Amino acid sequence: MVGPRYASTVRQIIAWLLVALFVFPIYHWVTVAFKTPKEIFDKPPNVWRFTPTVENFEQVFGISLGFGFGDVREVLPGGGNFYMAPRVWDSIVIAVFSTILAVTVATLASYALSRMRFRGQQHFVNWVLSTRMMPPVAVAIPMFFLFKNVGLLDTYTGLILVHSLMNLPLAVLLMKSFFDDIPKEIDESATIDGASRWLIFRRIILPMAKGGLAATAVLAFIFSWTEFLFVLTLSQGSIQTVPVASSTFVTSIGTAWGNMAALGTASMVPAFLFILLVQKHLVRGLTLGSLKQ
Amino acid sequence: MATVEYRNIVKNFGAVEVLRGLSFQIEPETFTVLLGPSGCGKTTLLRLTAGLEIMTSGDVLIAGERVNDVHPRDRDIAMVFQNYALYPAMKVFDNIAFSLQVRKLSPDEIRRRVGEAAATLNITDYLDRYPKELSGGQRQRVAMGRAMVRDATVFLFDEPLSNLDAKLRAHMRVEIRQLHDRLGSTSIYVTHDQIEAMTMADEIVLMHDGEIEQIGTPDEVYDRPANRFVADFIGTPSMNFLSGEVVADNGSPAFRAENVQVSLPDSVPATSGRKITCGLRPADLSLSETGSINGKLILAEKTGADIHLHVAVGDRNIVAVVPRSANVAAGQTVRLAIDPAKVHLFDAVTQHRVN
Repeated sequence: MVGPRYASTVRQIIAWLLVALFVFPIYHWVTVAFKTPKEIFDKPPNVWRFTPTVENFEQVFGISLGFGFGDVREVLPGGGNFYMAPRVWDSIVIAVFSTILAVTVATLASYALSRMRFRGQQHFVNWVLSTRMMPPVAVAIPMFFLFKNVGLLDTYTGLILVHSLMNLPLAVLLMKSFFDDIPKEIDESATIDGASRWLIFRRIILPMAKGGLAATAVLAFIFSWTEFLFVLTLSQGSIQTVPVASSTFVTSIGTAWGNMAALGTASMVPAFLFILLVQKHLVRGLTLGSLKQ
Repeated sequence: MATVEYRNIVKNFGAVEVLRGLSFQIEPETFTVLLGPSGCGKTTLLRLTAGLEIMTSGDVLIAGERVNDVHPRDRDIAMVFQNYALYPAMKVFDNIAFSLQVRKLSPDEIRRRVGEAAATLNITDYLDRYPKELSGGQRQRVAMGRAMVRDATVFLFDEPLSNLDAKLRAHMRVEIRQLHDRLGSTSIYVTHDQIEAMTMADEIVLMHDGEIEQIGTPDEVYDRPANRFVADFIGTPSMNFLSGEVVADNGSPAFRAENVQVSLPDSVPATSGRKITCGLRPADLSLSETGSINGKLILAEKTGADIHLHVAVGDRNIVAVVPRSANVAAGQTVRLAIDPAKVHLFDAVTQHRVN
C-alpha cells in the first residue's frame, strides 16, 4: 500500500518538474539579456553562474551614460537600430486600444446574441466563428492594398483596427458563453421592474460578467502583443510592435542575441502587469460556467 | 384591485401545443393557485400573464384591458421567480429599490418604501449585504420585498418556495398568504405542490396537459374532484382506485369488485353492470368488524400522528389512514369500512365523476 502522504509527495515532485520544464526556457531567455556576448556563447552554456550586466538594456532603451534618453540611434551592423523604447510604446498603444475596441464591440454583440432571437441567428454565430478559421496570411495581402488605398498603412488606427478585427470572433463567442450562463430570469425580472434593455445590460448584467470581460481582455491583449504578420505587412517602419522589432536584431552579419533577449524580457513586463491587474477576476472568469452558484 | 381574464389562450412552442385554448377569470383580491404536474403549462400561463412570452392566440385582460401588446413593465405586475433572480452585483437595498429607482421616485420615498418592506419581511439587518451573503430563506424574502415595494395590481409567483427546505417552506406559506391578505392584491401562484395549493389558495386551477381539469376552492377539488386525474392528484396519500361495477343490492345501489362491496348513496342510479372506477380517500376509510372491504394487511407505516395501512384487496393494494391507537399487525386480515357519502365514482371510460 502506498500511503497518501507518499502519493502526495510524488504528485508535488511531478508538479514542480512540470513547472520547471515550462519556466526554464523563460529563465534562460532572461539570463541571456543580462550576459555579455561572450558569455552568451559559452560552451556548455553557463545558466547559473555569470556576471550580470545591464549593457543590453542600456543599448535597447538608450539609458547608458553619454546618451540622452531618446537620443540613441546607434546603427547595428546591417542597418538595424538598437534603440527600441518607441517600439514598446507602439506595442502598448496598439494592444491597449485594440483590446478596448474588441472587448467593447464583442460585449455588445454577444449580449445581443445571447438574449435576442432573430432569423438565422445560429448561421450568424457560425459565420462569426468561421472568420477566425481563415489563415491570416490569406488576408494579409488584400488587406495591404486595402489599407494602402484608404491611407491606413503605417498608422496606429490601421493596426488597432486589424487587431480588433482578428480578436472579435473569439471575443464574441467567449463573452456569449458568459452571458449564456447568467439566468435569463434576471433580465426578465428587471424588465418587469421597468428597466430598459440598455439599463439591464449596464447595471445588472455587465457587473455580473466582470470575470468574462477580464478573461476576454487578457486573450485579446496577448494576441495583439504577440501578433507578427499583420504588423509586418501593414507597417513600414514608423510604427512597429515588439515582435517585429525583435526580428530586426537578426542581421546579415549576425544576430544581436543579448539585445533581442533584453527587448523580449522587457516586453514581458507590460503583459505581466496587465494580467496581474485583472487576475482577481480572471480565475473566476475562466471557471465560470463550470461552477454554478 | 384587478381581475385577470384569459380568453381562449393557445400557446405553441414549435409543434408542441403547451396551452390548448384556456378560458377563465380570476376575481379581484383572490389568491389563485395554478396547480398541476411538471409540463402542464402552468408556468407558461404565468409568463404569458407577465408578458414574458407571446401567446399564439387568445387574449389576456388585466382589469378589463387587453394587455396582449402591452410591455411587461407597463402591465403593473410584480413577479417572484423560482430562482429569485436577484441582482448579484447589487446590495439587498438596491435589489429592492431597483424598480423604484427606475421609476424615478424620490430618494426619500424609496427609502421609506424599502424600509417598510424590509421591516415586514424581517430583513432590515441585511439591507447592506449582497445576495450571495444570504441564506436561501433570506434571498426568498428579498425577492418578496422586491415585489412588495411595487404596489402592483397583480402579483405573480412562480414556484417561489421550491428551493427551500420543508420547514422553511411551511413557514413562508403562511407569510406569503398573510402578505396577500394585508396588501389586498390579486395573486396568481404557480406550484406543483398540492399542499401549498390547498393551504394557500382561495381558488385552485388544476391543469394537466395544457388544459384545465377543474377550477374550485380547495374544499371543492378535494371533496368533489371532477375527474379521476384531479382525484388522484389531490390528497396525500393518494386516493385508492378500484375497478368494478354498479349492482343493485336489495334495491339500493352498491359498488362491487373482488373482495369489496361498498354501499352507495341512493342518488346513484343503480344501472346494473355499469363499469365504474370507485375512489376511496385513505383518510375516509376506517377499521370496522362489519366493514365490507376485506383484505390482508401487508404493512403498517407509523407516521407519528397516525398509521398508514397498506392492505392487499384482491389483486390491488389500497392505503388506509387510521388513528395511532389502532391495534394492528402485518399479516392479519382486516376489514375496512367507508361512509357511502364519501365514495367517489368515476366512469370507467370517460374518467369523469358520475356521483
